[in-house]
Amino acid sequence: MNKALRISHVGLRGIVGQGLTATHVLEFAAAFGTFLEPGRPVVLGRDPRLSGHMIREGVLASLLGCGHDVIDLGVVSTPVVQHAIQRLDAAGGIAISASHNTIDWNALRFFGPSGIYLNTAEAGELLDIYHLRRFRFAPWDQLGKLTVTTEAIDAYLDGLARVFDLPRLRPLRVVVDCCNGASALILRRMNERFGCGFILINERVDGRTVAHTPNTSASIVELQLAPLMQPLRADAGFLFDMDADRVALADELGRGVSEEMVLPLLADSLLPASPGKLIIANLSSTALLEDVAARHGGRVLRVPVGRQAAIDALSTYRPEQIALAGEGTGAVMMPQFRFVYDGIASMLAILHTICDRGQPLSRILAGYPRHHILKAEVPLTSPRIPALLEELQELFPDGELDRSDGLRIAWPDRWFHVRVSQTEPIIRVIAEQRDSEPRELFETLLDRVRRWN
Amino acid sequence: MAREHLLKVGVSGVRGVIGGFLTPGLAASFAQAFGTYVGQGPVVLGRDTRTSGPMLTHAVNCGLLAAGCEVIDLGVMPTPTIQIYVAHRKARGGIALTASHNPPEYNALKLFNHEGLFFNQYERSELLDLFHQSQFTQAGNEEIRTVKPDFTTAPALHFERVLRHVDADRIRSRRFRVALDGVNGAGSAMSVEFLSTVLATRLEAIAVDPTQVFPRIAEPRPDTLTDLAALVRRTGADIGFGQDPDGDRLAVCDENGTVLDNDDVLALAVERALAYTPGDVVVNLTTSATIDDIAARHGRRVHRTPVGEANVVDRMQAVRAAIGGEGSSGGIIFPAVHLCRDSYTAMALLLDLMAETGQTVSALVAGLPRYSRLAGKVPFEHGRLGTLMQNLEASFPDAQTNRTDGLKLLWEGRWLHIRSSNTEPLLRLAVEARTPGEAQSLFDAAWRRLTG
Repeated sequence: MNKALRISHVGLRGIVGQGLTATHVLEFAAAFGTFLEPGRPVVLGRDPRLSGHMIREGVLASLLGCGHDVIDLGVVSTPVVQHAIQRLDAAGGIAISASHNTIDWNALRFFGPSGIYLNTAEAGELLDIYHLRRFRFAPWDQLGKLTVTTEAIDAYLDGLARVFDLPRLRPLRVVVDCCNGASALILRRMNERFGCGFILINERVDGRTVAHTPNTSASIVELQLAPLMQPLRADAGFLFDMDADRVALADELGRGVSEEMVLPLLADSLLPASPGKLIIANLSSTALLEDVAARHGGRVLRVPVGRQAAIDALSTYRPEQIALAGEGTGAVMMPQFRFVYDGIASMLAILHTICDRGQPLSRILAGYPRHHILKAEVPLTSPRIPALLEELQELFPDGELDRSDGLRIAWPDRWFHVRVSQTEPIIRVIAEQRDSEPRELFETLLDRVRRWN
Repeated sequence: MAREHLLKVGVSGVRGVIGGFLTPGLAASFAQAFGTYVGQGPVVLGRDTRTSGPMLTHAVNCGLLAAGCEVIDLGVMPTPTIQIYVAHRKARGGIALTASHNPPEYNALKLFNHEGLFFNQYERSELLDLFHQSQFTQAGNEEIRTVKPDFTTAPALHFERVLRHVDADRIRSRRFRVALDGVNGAGSAMSVEFLSTVLATRLEAIAVDPTQVFPRIAEPRPDTLTDLAALVRRTGADIGFGQDPDGDRLAVCDENGTVLDNDDVLALAVERALAYTPGDVVVNLTTSATIDDIAARHGRRVHRTPVGEANVVDRMQAVRAAIGGEGSSGGIIFPAVHLCRDSYTAMALLLDLMAETGQTVSALVAGLPRYSRLAGKVPFEHGRLGTLMQNLEASFPDAQTNRTDGLKLLWEGRWLHIRSSNTEPLLRLAVEARTPGEAQSLFDAAWRRLTG
């Protein structure tokens, strides 16, 4: 089944023309215009997809029609939109981007004041307004005004330059695969202003074609970026999705680094300065995080998979209690950036670690305990998932149990997680073990899961 | 119970009040239906100066882009200028965002085909079906085009078309003193350029700031143009022009500060056009018999249509008319320039007539056949129209009747016409006769039967 349209707490997402239409855009943006308090402006930005032109017009019409002034940043990354919301003291914002989905997709992502994704309660309110379709439109003499600005990327770079010593990165030879996305515009400007000398590939931004699937999985890195590392004598390579909220990397030996490694690498570099703080990660992320946290006296808080759970968890803590939050997909939020998934900030933090340690990336990675992870997807056909999970739980009575998102059972040196995907009709099976592959455990799990399906 | 027409989706497009009635979603859907109908290719978009114009521009852009069209955005531009540009640019069609003479809280989508003409009745009903079926062309990422602004080339194109049909040098050489009330509309800047730069008149202009709201009732009529009349008297102007917000209608004030009857303005333009252009005249049923007398002088026929610009234009196209218009609502249609109501053509023809004859406006009007006209509005319930018409027809058995739009009763030298308004729950009554006394008694007789 081709699910070309998804309307959920995460927003509106679909294949433009096949599922996602102008009507959806106008109605969802009108719902957001009704949801937001009047008075302060709303920030808008989009990734380079051509469909962004159409969606931008629809979003503008509805927001102006609801009486909100709009500040349009043009083609930028999603983190730039979030940064601008905070900087301009806006009521909220919309990023038009399907991020790591293929080029034919697009999406609306909604942010509240200070640029944070809507939490589940707020997103639920927005969905209710959308379904009720009783939008609050302004009368003819109270309609919003549009301001178009091109300064957002520079303001965002100013923000990065306050946290990171950018000129210090100059000696590093860094290759970046922009995947024809918004990161190309930002990194080009960073090279101009700070002399970073990043070598950009797939940096043509026309919104029509992408050199490869814009996701940050290890397999894409292996295929696209890793082979260039040695020929270009690069110290590190990075790969972004279309709106640069996620990042993946490759080391100087030309090896793709699992997207799982972004979070531990950043935890290792941030925790020393914030001892004892929390790392928020999901139940499917590597146990290496616990190893790294233990090294620095930090603690890992495991939450259900998905952006929404991380956002909700964040909102229940004070910012100063948290060192880092993120997912195993290379999407990481750091407190310096008010908890925005920001691939470019993650890249800069990793480059700083390389500078600080004075070691090649491969040596830094080799210093961590080796965890072997096995992942599989089984088509979901049975409705009897609770019974399946019950059976698995009885089969492994001795581990540490977590039932907050499917079933996760952990032992000191290994863990597994079985859950139903939120986005596709599949069951995800993941098992990880220190030092060697958990082949036997993994096969047992798959066998049981398949028997129920 | 009479209701306010807050929203009307019909064969003439979409018109409604901003703030929950004419919503951005409705405008976008209608535009996407339009884009589906005209096909992928360039579509021209322009708007008048209403506050809702920018918001609706984005909505229409969205709908057109979603249908795979490219949008050429002319920004604030008079409706006739948009129409001329559509034809020149060989676009798939055009949309003007304007509620014409309606109050500022209204807006509407006016739709043009690839020739820059209003959709005819077949095109209109086809589009309406498409809209209701919601089966739109849905462009995917690769088929989505962009909005291309062109805020500058259209006015010159329009002026050039108009000037082909008048002796511009003769007009310039007269250095007329002209008063203008632009109602802060779409024509504001363009009219100043046309009158003072292109035609070298000595211009006294008010309400020519397109960033401001309409300073008067938007429909240019004698009772709404008191500021223009005062301006004419104060500056000793030879003529005064009053536009509507989208620059298609024109009202005229003579050198004494008297605002002319719009039927007389049309009559002067017809006089002027028939002297040089072969072809018949098309007007609506409510337009003065003055037109018949003038056409007769030139040996031309007058064709009568139901009220509504689209009806007049359809017939003009069919009979290859030289000129046409709708008397009371103001504005003339001169196909040699473009088959649309156009205040610029009207201004040029009148100035040309003045330059050629050397006569004042009041003297020109005095030379027209004299008729007296009266008009009134009767509130009524929709279901009663048929009964009212039958009663009226029965009380005047000696009249010739025409039932193509309401009921028109004709006698030698006088007529009366009742019809239901397209825009309000009203019955419009108009009468005309050779003398004020005759007109009044005919009006009173009809009024008694309609309200009694």
